[in-house]
Amino acid sequence: MRQIVKKRNNRKLRRLLIEIIVIIILIITTFSGCIQQTQGGLKIVVIGRDSASGTREFFWEHVMGKNDFTYLLREKNSNGGIYQTIIQTPGAIGYVGFGYVDSGVKALKIDNVTASVENVLSGTYPIARNLYLFTKGNATDVAKEFIEYIQSTEGQEIVEEEGFVPLPTSQPYNSSDKLLSGDITIGGSTTVFPIVEKAKDAFKDIYQQLSITVSSTGSGAGITAVTAGTVDIAMSSRDLKSSESDKGLVKYTIASDGIAIIVNLENTYVDGLTMAQLKAIYKGDIENWKDLS
Amino acid sequence: MALQLRLLNKFSIKKKNIKEKSIKTILFLSAISAVIVIFSIIFFLFRDGYQIFETAGLWEFLSGTRWNPTGEPPSYGAFSLIVGTLLVTIGAMVIAIPLSIGSAIFISELAPPRIRAIIKPAIELLAGIPSVVYGFFGLIVLTTWLRISFNQPSGESWLAGSILLGIMAIPTITSVAEDAINSVPREYKEGSLALGATKWQTISKVVVPSALSGITAAVILGMGRAIGETMAVMMVCGNPTYGLIPEPITNVFAPVKTLTATLGIEMGEVASGSNHFHALFGLALILLIITLAVNIIATIILGRLKEKQMSSSKKRTCLPYKIGKKIRQTLYIIIGIIVVWMLFISTGIIVTISILIVVAAFYYLSRKISAKNIQRMAFGTIILAIVTVIIILGIIISYIVSNGAGAISWEFLTTEPTNLGRSGGIFPAIVGTFYLVAGAILIALPLGVGSAIYLTEYTREGKLTKIIRTGADLLNGTPSIVFGLFGFAFFVLYLKMGFSLLAGQITLALMILPTIIRTTEEALKSVPQSLREGSLALGATKWQTIHKVVLPPAAPGILTGAILGIGRAVGETAPIMFTAVVFSGFIPQSVFEPVNALPFHLFMLTTSIPDSKQSQAGTALVLLLLVVGIYMIAVIIRNHYKKTMKW
Repeated sequence: MRQIVKKRNNRKLRRLLIEIIVIIILIITTFSGCIQQTQGGLKIVVIGRDSASGTREFFWEHVMGKNDFTYLLREKNSNGGIYQTIIQTPGAIGYVGFGYVDSGVKALKIDNVTASVENVLSGTYPIARNLYLFTKGNATDVAKEFIEYIQSTEGQEIVEEEGFVPLPTSQPYNSSDKLLSGDITIGGSTTVFPIVEKAKDAFKDIYQQLSITVSSTGSGAGITAVTAGTVDIAMSSRDLKSSESDKGLVKYTIASDGIAIIVNLENTYVDGLTMAQLKAIYKGDIENWKDLS
Repeated sequence: MALQLRLLNKFSIKKKNIKEKSIKTILFLSAISAVIVIFSIIFFLFRDGYQIFETAGLWEFLSGTRWNPTGEPPSYGAFSLIVGTLLVTIGAMVIAIPLSIGSAIFISELAPPRIRAIIKPAIELLAGIPSVVYGFFGLIVLTTWLRISFNQPSGESWLAGSILLGIMAIPTITSVAEDAINSVPREYKEGSLALGATKWQTISKVVVPSALSGITAAVILGMGRAIGETMAVMMVCGNPTYGLIPEPITNVFAPVKTLTATLGIEMGEVASGSNHFHALFGLALILLIITLAVNIIATIILGRLKEKQMSSSKKRTCLPYKIGKKIRQTLYIIIGIIVVWMLFISTGIIVTISILIVVAAFYYLSRKISAKNIQRMAFGTIILAIVTVIIILGIIISYIVSNGAGAISWEFLTTEPTNLGRSGGIFPAIVGTFYLVAGAILIALPLGVGSAIYLTEYTREGKLTKIIRTGADLLNGTPSIVFGLFGFAFFVLYLKMGFSLLAGQITLALMILPTIIRTTEEALKSVPQSLREGSLALGATKWQTIHKVVLPPAAPGILTGAILGIGRAVGETAPIMFTAVVFSGFIPQSVFEPVNALPFHLFMLTTSIPDSKQSQAGTALVLLLLVVGIYMIAVIIRNHYKKTMKW
């Protein structure tokens, strides 16, 4: 009998203990919830590319001055990922290649310069970088012809169609009495990929004997592959790093890429930013759009 | 004459012996393949990853909270990534456990046979939806919904990841938990009912407690699945760049970065041989160790369960029951806290407190309510759980179907993509997927069936079978992205295959191998021992018996396994992303050329090609239909097999 009473007391005690713990935790969580009340305005959601991306590296060097990003920078592994997030998030800001700018988003003026191909060509738009192809040693045969084709007027038209900035000068491609056959493989940057993929189709219309394979694996993987000899041409949205520079790779510039700063259409706070403001946003010093207007 | 005959006889016996022995050797070799594979995965991850432990220091690598491999100076701290992975997984479990256990109880105990026949395959269908499709859905629908309804700046958060992973873990947990509940001896239930307990009392006090270790194992397996998931998590979790431990830790709307997402995002662009590259392999090693630990725990629990069922129940079951109760109590408390806290965030303090008061009042009143009413309420909750699951399935499928139906036409299926996939069709991707999967199954089926035959027919249960089986189980729990990294390190770089069809086929084959071993074993075990004995008694050799007597009736089961493997291989992106695929409208002429595949095509369209909405939705639907179709065939074969096979 005594045992039973003891057991019951024990059980009651335990239940009481549990209830006390629950109440304490409840109070704690309630208070912690109170602290993070949302204030007015529109919070900035900072979007960027992943740390292995050529675009991000460029942005980090030229806009951030190699300062750290805000710890809240949300990473996307592609331009499309950034675009998708911007169109469905009112407070978002992101950077993408010009090709991704359309009526679904708003491209901001930088230092009062509109993001356009003309302004990149004239050198007034501050955020632009070159796109490259790399070969191991000087390009020969098919690879050489293909690179010449992309750098020609015909190739540069494709560059423009896909929303990139063409080279300042180019000659028409001369295909007369050349007989090309064989196959080459191309791999690398996701940014450069659309240009090369489209140029490949046009190039194959001229030389029907050719077989060209293009894969988009990222700049780093492309450069590794061309160094190892598994592909003939690497596409890259960045220049060689110091660790890659002594491998005997030859660089061909094929286009420029303007980088647009885009925000959601519902964002009525700003139409343009200065480089300093942009840096402050990406550093996390400015956290709300209302602090900018 | 007699001598000659005897010699001939002797010769033929010898020849037979040699044949038998060589078959046994071949089967043995295929049986240990799973073990070899798991060890070579660990070896190759270590081979490319250990440098980072040297340069950054093992302790700094594990405990540092800042992941910034391209910074100046670079920092390699994986701790916040590990925390991110754990948070997302815990959240997923909080969502998945009640729903899947509710569903499991409903399917095994409550549902009338006709409804069960519909609901069970429907939940299994949830497992068949490719993770890119989940990610696609999560990115566009789920994050927007979270942002608007909780008034947050962005919906990409660990809550979004948890919800998506929770949904993805439901089928795994449900089917294993259902097996556990089904294996509770009938007598227990009958005994309880005979003592006058209601059905709910029987379920809650007898059936579930005695199936508890099986259910625990189910939860752990589901957890392993959730930890290793890549594509979906990558698309919805936000991925704060340096990794982030939410502040406070319960802030479900904070973005987090998981181990798998880091690998999936950064692996493609990293320069191989750099410190960053080694750091990623270091991360993969951590990921593999976590999932292996989780799976080993599950295997041990399931193994104990089997032992308990084998041995007579003389052991005192008192202790495990008590422990189970404690586990359950803590679990309830954790779930309770999280629910209350989410309630608070979404509604505010007054509503939360009033709801709490109502719940408390209900709790004390419930002691006075009759057992019958309690049963009614409990069943109501369970039915609510299953309805929720079905509704989720319905939302996902109807969203994809309604968006994609307009895009599908004969041209879409049979032409090459033009204008970078924005228009034209997806024919090369379909063909590529077919090549990849066909190759994978050609490699995995002989290996898997061989090793299953060796395990069931040639050995007694012992250390060797235990090792092989553990190897297969571990392989089963290995995250698909780890397979991808292994394929990249071993086939693409070490064997210098480059991005090729063959590398992708082998990587996929290794991934589906455990599924085939498991299902083939089950099929072989279901062939009665008496058939084998009969055949052997008639003078047939071991191989003749297996070949002519055991395999034919087991064929449908093996086929089901193969089809399940195909279904898994069709939808996977992570293993082929670094080994085989390119985004192009090109059909490979040999196995050394790269291919395009449907899930990768969809992934590229959603992430890299602007203005391709139409083709995205169409590709998602084709992929879904393909996978669903394959699973349907498996289900039909299984049902047919169950009906016709009677011993």
